[in-house]
Amino acid sequence: MILSLVLTIALFATAVALIGIVELVSRREQSAVPTLGEMCGFVMTYRLGWLPVGRIAVLGFWWWVGWHFFAR
Amino acid sequence: MERPSELVVPAEPVWVRSAVLVPAFVLVSLVAGSLPSFSLSANLLVLCTGGLLFWLGVSTPMQRPRPLPRLPAAAVWWIVPFGLLTVVEAVTFLLGSTEANPTLSRLADPVLERYLARSALFFGWTTAFWGLVKR
Repeated sequence: MILSLVLTIALFATAVALIGIVELVSRREQSAVPTLGEMCGFVMTYRLGWLPVGRIAVLGFWWWVGWHFFAR
Repeated sequence: MERPSELVVPAEPVWVRSAVLVPAFVLVSLVAGSLPSFSLSANLLVLCTGGLLFWLGVSTPMQRPRPLPRLPAAAVWWIVPFGLLTVVEAVTFLLGSTEANPTLSRLADPVLERYLARSALFFGWTTAFWGLVKR
């Protein structure tokens, strides 16, 4: 059980560390990798007619994250 | 010769400034840190704070950075961390989020029981939310 728990925590920690590493790489001068903010900005430009589907999806997801961790 | 018309950029309202927003977020976070999970007050605070920011993000015109016209090929690097996060979260969820295989939210629960950690993470959530609103 402990091995499984440690492995799970290690995998989550690796994912979080990789997010930080890719973000650092993206912030280097003339990096081809877009920043996380630019990625979000790109997704948020997606529209279906007059409906800003991308904005609603990204902002709605973040709203749900807050509710999931702080309220439920 | 006709004078070129000046580019008029609308001034942002006062409440958009960091000097106003940061204390407001700190205040809300200090309150949020004291509200336990599953309580009505915690639900109301998250729903109202998130609802306000969501509405501002969807409806309010602001000065926003120009988005990328299209994603460069190197954007696939983001699949690595978020793919790993999604797979681990999905597997632990399907395994029932047990003590041996906890989901991220189960792992976060003991941390979120502490007032300072809960307040700090709530502040991070609202600040990141504002970053998305401004995108």
